[in-house]
Amino acid sequence: MSDDDRRKLQSHELHSARSTAAVIAALLVTAVCLYFMFEAAMKSLGQDVWIRSPGEWGTWLTGLPDSADPLVLAAGSLVVLALGLFFLLHGILPGRRARHAIPQERAIVVVDDGVLASTLARRARTQAGVTPEQVVVIVTRNHVSVQLRPTSGIGIDAAAVHAAVEDEIRTNHIEPAPAVKVHVAETGVVGQ
Amino acid sequence: MNRTPRITNRVILTLLGLFMTALGLHGLLLAAVPSYAAGWRGLADRVGAAFTRLLEDTTLEGQRDSWLWIVVSVVMIVLVLLMVWWMAVQGQGKTGIFAREFREEGTRGIVELSSAVPEQTLKAALAGRPDLVTVSVTSWSVPRHDAGLRVKVQPRLGAAPYRIAEDIASLVVDMDAILGAAGPVVIHLATGARTRMSRAERVR
Repeated sequence: MSDDDRRKLQSHELHSARSTAAVIAALLVTAVCLYFMFEAAMKSLGQDVWIRSPGEWGTWLTGLPDSADPLVLAAGSLVVLALGLFFLLHGILPGRRARHAIPQERAIVVVDDGVLASTLARRARTQAGVTPEQVVVIVTRNHVSVQLRPTSGIGIDAAAVHAAVEDEIRTNHIEPAPAVKVHVAETGVVGQ
Repeated sequence: MNRTPRITNRVILTLLGLFMTALGLHGLLLAAVPSYAAGWRGLADRVGAAFTRLLEDTTLEGQRDSWLWIVVSVVMIVLVLLMVWWMAVQGQGKTGIFAREFREEGTRGIVELSSAVPEQTLKAALAGRPDLVTVSVTSWSVPRHDAGLRVKVQPRLGAAPYRIAEDIASLVVDMDAILGAAGPVVIHLATGARTRMSRAERVR
């Protein structure tokens, strides 16, 4: 595989394909099209239209805002605006998944941030000598936040925990390497 | 590794998003700003009149309605079909055949490796590992390459990701030599319900 293909495949693994939004958009467009086809068919068969024929919809549209209740018009517009922004943002935002990459020669390796967090939490916990319940690790793309609650009466060396977590990130070759922030709570908990 | 048309998704979503955002803003302005509404009425009257004239021009003699409506219906049908296609191609690309080769010499014929071969091989090799909760392997057809493998494993809480990745990759390299096909491989270390329910990895 060429480097280009590898990079492409890795970026596919790290970014959302926007399938869900695409399916929602397709269903919406299909529904609108089917509705207008239904009305047009009713009209051409000489039946009573359901709500309005396509032509009458045109007249209704040019007659706005007098042809509709202003409250209904505003509410409907808000819904359309919200849906529009939803689709637009899904179209233009990068859509990064909560994953990090690990460089590897043969394969493309991606790690969910949750897996990474549990690894870092284990390292922080063993370094600080506390139970799993006393550690919370949050991993985002560029930051790792380690929150520790010390056992009452026993201090925690925050610098040592910081170094240990950074070492764990380095030994796992996490890409891009996030910055580590360690926070030790003021109050302790009763140890086990 | 699937063949979801990512660029198509982005382009259509952006266009539809822009259109609906504009439509929503237009409706809100109509409801809230009287001067904007007055401007719209002036424009709408002219456009409406032009459209009515167009409809009259396109009505054939003896017919009740313009043939433009037929064109509109055809466009709508095409649009619906396109949307169905768009939905159908999301996430496509899984394959049941890992490799296939036509043999000229000896016994002539086609040799086919089902995708179950690499899948079961990798699963069996990883089955005994204590630091993995689940392993799932799927094969994907990749244009211009041998079939790709997607190895999704759920490591136990606290397991070391790099070590797992290296071990799986070395298994894959061994398997390349045995099967004679070396397509792209994605190793995904994932979290899931099973990880949270199972006990944590002991320190090694």
